[in-house]
Amino acid sequence: MGPQLSWYLALSAVLFTIGAVGVIIKRNVIAMFMCIELMLNAVNLTFVAFSSFFQDVTGQLFVFIVMTVAAAEAAVGLGIIIAIFRNRETLDVDDASILKL
Amino acid sequence: MAIGCALAMVSQTNPLYSAISLIGVFISLASIYVTLAAPFIAAVQVIVYAGAIMVLVIFVIMLLNVEHAEPRRRRLKFLVPLSIAMAGVLLAETAFILYSVQTTENHLAGSLSNVGLTHSIGEGLFTRYLLPFEVTSVLLLMAIVGAMSLARRADILSSSARVVPGAQVLAMDIVNPAAVGDLRPVETESTEEAAHLLGVDFHSDRDRAE
Repeated sequence: MGPQLSWYLALSAVLFTIGAVGVIIKRNVIAMFMCIELMLNAVNLTFVAFSSFFQDVTGQLFVFIVMTVAAAEAAVGLGIIIAIFRNRETLDVDDASILKL
Repeated sequence: MAIGCALAMVSQTNPLYSAISLIGVFISLASIYVTLAAPFIAAVQVIVYAGAIMVLVIFVIMLLNVEHAEPRRRRLKFLVPLSIAMAGVLLAETAFILYSVQTTENHLAGSLSNVGLTHSIGEGLFTRYLLPFEVTSVLLLMAIVGAMSLARRADILSSSARVVPGAQVLAMDIVNPAAVGDLRPVETESTEEAAHLLGVDFHSDRDRAE
């Protein structure tokens, strides 16, 4: 008997929770960014787990698309981080609390 | 192992160590994908996440190079207990759902089917899910353009730029910042015309030199 589906879901939930806690308590923009990546990966894990337990390829296609979105988000997000750092000389999110540069 | 790496990632204060822990999370997730009979997704996970995205993140960390950790201000101190409470609520919800929903057939099917192989993924991607695929490509294009326009410097020429005297041929993307990559030549007849095109005050430079 192999591992059950609920184990994968529990692991994914724990990873998602760690990512959410990290987004809340971290101050560094890059650290928050990496926590968001962790949350995306937790959701990917649920997709793959359901996909292989139900023998349906749709979940894995969505994982593919989520990865593409994460890559695009990484490019644009890091561009924004560099722009903010150029203007403010800091990476603390509390110093960037107004939208005006 | 994935959970341990994730906890290490959140608890690190140095973003570089945090990034390396995140790579550990990605690698262990990739091995979990292999055990779930999804080898293509595992390969893409290693290549795209642990390769491309984390190299980008580490590059930015090195580039910005902010070492000193600023002390916490008191205004946001309530966030830590709040986040722990929220984590408790999330985990309790998950435990409740996992405890109460046990009706589905719950064992991994045999690996006889070809789900998860590159062939089936490609077939699904280009037949049933062609529209999401195309939308994703448009999204990538938008990300490329957005990242370029964000990272580009606002003004190409600094205020201390001088004009080379005489008639000259300029590239279009120097004259007009909106036409990036346009290398068509713009011919000027005189120094004054070149200075006007570049937005540099030629006469004041000459007066200063005198």
